[in-house]
Amino acid sequence: MSVIDLTNVRDGGIVPTNVVLGDGCRLELVKESFERFRSTLEPGLLLGRDVSVYCWSRFSVEPDGLIEVGADTVLVGALFMCAEKISIGERVVISYNVTIADCDFHPRDPELRKRDAVASAPGGDESKRPSLVSRPVVIEDDVWVGIGAIVLKGVRIGAGARIGAGAVVTTDVPAGATVAGNPARFVDEGEPRP
Amino acid sequence: MNDRLVLDHDWCSTPLPSNVEIGERSWLYSSFAFVHYRSERPCGVRIGHDSGIYIGTYFELGPRGEVDIGNFCTVAGPIISTNSRVEIGDYALISFHVVIADSFAAVPPTSEAEGARGGSVGAPPTAGTPGTPPTAVVIGENAWIGARAVLLAGARIGEGAIVGAASVVDFDVPPYAVVAGTPARVVGWARPGQRPEPSRGRPPRRVGP
Repeated sequence: MSVIDLTNVRDGGIVPTNVVLGDGCRLELVKESFERFRSTLEPGLLLGRDVSVYCWSRFSVEPDGLIEVGADTVLVGALFMCAEKISIGERVVISYNVTIADCDFHPRDPELRKRDAVASAPGGDESKRPSLVSRPVVIEDDVWVGIGAIVLKGVRIGAGARIGAGAVVTTDVPAGATVAGNPARFVDEGEPRP
Repeated sequence: MNDRLVLDHDWCSTPLPSNVEIGERSWLYSSFAFVHYRSERPCGVRIGHDSGIYIGTYFELGPRGEVDIGNFCTVAGPIISTNSRVEIGDYALISFHVVIADSFAAVPPTSEAEGARGGSVGAPPTAGTPGTPPTAVVIGENAWIGARAVLLAGARIGEGAIVGAASVVDFDVPPYAVVAGTPARVVGWARPGQRPEPSRGRPPRRVGP
């Protein structure tokens, strides 16, 4: 970790103190990328060496959330919605308008959802929101995530997998596989596993 | 009706259209939501009480367009593009990047002729009582529309139903159904009082402040 060089940051935003930036990290719009960064963990975001974060990326992190991003990864337009943990490997490319969420952020049960609606109404008491289920998301090394894809909670995407544009990934993707569609299905199942 | 209401917090200096009603304690992010609004109905947009209309929401209404939003709704950024009627029930939750539309046109047409050029999609809107526009889309009470879902004319989302992320719906979704995919299919049910989904051994975690 080095002294943060903000010479390539264009909007004058300040990187939160619990964000660790590796050597050679590039951030474009700090104010926008961290507008909803509320992690209280140390660190709450870990960017490895030479990670590029383009201006369309957003780190929307709840107080208990942690995002880890491996070296040489390119985040073009990733919206992270993180309540617990999202781990991105090395040399991953995440394209425009991609959403990665480790939680649904609202309860599935209709009665609980009514309580959630009242508690989160303007002027409501947010401390009365029902508790939610989160499951960490893991994207391993060398994965490519296509334009507009959505990766939902609990998903592990194996090393070298390819996620097609617009895919909605709800289950694990094996290493080397290619998936596409909503819900995402195999286009190529990758190497047969031993 | 209000007298061209200006929101206290608004960065956009244009007042709200006069045929917009906003209930007690409800919050609207900006009058910019009405940038393409052309409704000539007595009440083009009605928002009940305690509802939040957040950034990214746009009311792209043609002259006959009408949107009715209930109480305690969370509307987190859909584009609602219609020259018909769209109803959103109490407690409904609509996520970001959702599109609710009954026309391909970016802004709903001004006339039937333009409508023909814009092309309607999905099932035709059902006829309403004389004087009111036909109803294109209904989102039932307590329904949840996931991020980037697309609701086309003919979508009727039942009470408490869940529409998964990026799904496309132009049909009746029964109450408490969970639908997902393109095209959307019923993938489960969310009955009142049902236990939360299994958490794979993790205790539920609180999200929020």
